[in-house]
Amino acid sequence: MLDTVREVTTPEGVALRLPAAGPMPRALAWALDAVIRVVALSACSGVLSLLGHAGMGVYLVLLFLALWGYPVVCEVLFDGQTPGKRALDLRVVAADGAPVGWVASCVRNLLRTVDMLPVGYACGLVASLVDPWGRRLGDLVAGTLVVHAPRASRRLPQVTPELHAPTMALRPAEQAAIIEFAERAPLLTPERQAELADIAEPATGARGTVGVHRLSGVANWLLGRR
Amino acid sequence: MRQEPFVARHQGEWEAFEAWLDARAARPRRARKLQREWRGLPDEDVPPAYRRLCQQLTLARRRGYSPLVVERLQDLVQRGHDALYRPPPPRWARIGRFLLADFPRLVRAQWGCMLAATLLFALPLAAIYLALQWRPELINSLFDPMEQAKWEAMYDPADASAKLGRESGTDLAMFGFYILNNITIGLRTFASGLVAGIGPVVVLAMNGITIGAVAGHLQAVGHGDPFWRFVAGHSAFELPAIVIAGGAGLRLGLDLIAPGRRRRVDALVESGRRGAQVCLGVAAMLVLAAFIEAFWSSIGWMPATVKFSVAAALWLLVIAWLWRGGRGVVDAP
Repeated sequence: MLDTVREVTTPEGVALRLPAAGPMPRALAWALDAVIRVVALSACSGVLSLLGHAGMGVYLVLLFLALWGYPVVCEVLFDGQTPGKRALDLRVVAADGAPVGWVASCVRNLLRTVDMLPVGYACGLVASLVDPWGRRLGDLVAGTLVVHAPRASRRLPQVTPELHAPTMALRPAEQAAIIEFAERAPLLTPERQAELADIAEPATGARGTVGVHRLSGVANWLLGRR
Repeated sequence: MRQEPFVARHQGEWEAFEAWLDARAARPRRARKLQREWRGLPDEDVPPAYRRLCQQLTLARRRGYSPLVVERLQDLVQRGHDALYRPPPPRWARIGRFLLADFPRLVRAQWGCMLAATLLFALPLAAIYLALQWRPELINSLFDPMEQAKWEAMYDPADASAKLGRESGTDLAMFGFYILNNITIGLRTFASGLVAGIGPVVVLAMNGITIGAVAGHLQAVGHGDPFWRFVAGHSAFELPAIVIAGGAGLRLGLDLIAPGRRRRVDALVESGRRGAQVCLGVAAMLVLAAFIEAFWSSIGWMPATVKFSVAAALWLLVIAWLWRGGRGVVDAP
């Protein structure tokens, strides 16, 4: 329940990390999709009502497609993302982390019917709270799961050329912390940088702005920049 | 090796791979068209590049490189995985083969459940129908008089000019209605099988009772002729479709209750795959049924002989299709 990251080992022997999404963002995505469909349908009905009874027939066919076709087509064609899911950075993937296929998408959307029982996705909510990866019943049967789509990768930052040897021996966890500080420092205010660098005073032997520079230097030294 | 030399050594590879992903992974068809203009990483070198990337990611994790580097590699590997392991695009040419051969075979492969579904549907239907011929007043304990009056009005033999089987609406409007209503019922019948198979049992029995009651009542009060002229044609596709959807739902429920020597979730996944394919066939049958129902069945002036011979032909066609379709056809590769 606490760690929702699913690790899937690919045939190449690497663990892919799939951060499973919980019921809340998924419900919001669903609501957004519902709004999109209702708006599109009412726009269509405005035009079709001019055609009288024939327009009614076309409208009902469109309603059918919006109910059953929309999620399947969107998920398969747009990389596991309906517009609602895209807005919330969610993605449907197969259990092995591969993109979702036609059959699997059909299954998970057909079985929405069961997840909706008895009212308002109650079954789906219970299932996704019980399941360690937040899958509803349709996902279980289809062998799919909904994950948070990975954000655009951050670029490796340009670093200051400063180099500084630490004044004391550092344990691996401390080394990792210092390197992470150096990478995240550009995102922080100078005051916060100084505050954090002060904690590492024993390793740098300085405080304030000088401490920040030295700590970056230590990180460079640890990373093997010469 | 420390992180910085590692990044410096492999940075070029990563950038080339990323450029390939950006330019060519998303739209393979377009990428094939622009094959000659592409100057970056050649397509055939992508799998080895991806495997090297996987190895570098494992090394980076193992050596405890900084989160930025590991994240970047993880991101590239995920995108590479997506590109290499994506499902094949659907082959539209296969649709004909699926409908003519694969679907009937899929139905026959689950003949036990299909038989059970047929009985669940046909037995109540026949029982109610016969009971109403014997004691027509029994209908009053099943449906209220308002409803009965509605049916009688829909199939009134005195009103020869009227369209059969409907209160109002043009052919096209009714076509839309049948599509929405019938296919939704069909698909829901299958899906409700996940509730331990109870859903299809209820749906099939209820439909059997309702249809038996309508047919029995109309026959008993002398409105039988327009009724049979209306239903004979499209029922050839509609009734088998509902029964097949119910059978697939029963199979799903059975796989949930008794998965045999498989893990329950594996049994369900397999059953779901088959069920979804059955549902595609059922949807196709119901589209055809809706078409017949809206544009053929409702024609009031057509002589009964024509209607019934067409209906007989359709029933024979459906039975032959489900019984013999796909025999001797080699499995799809």
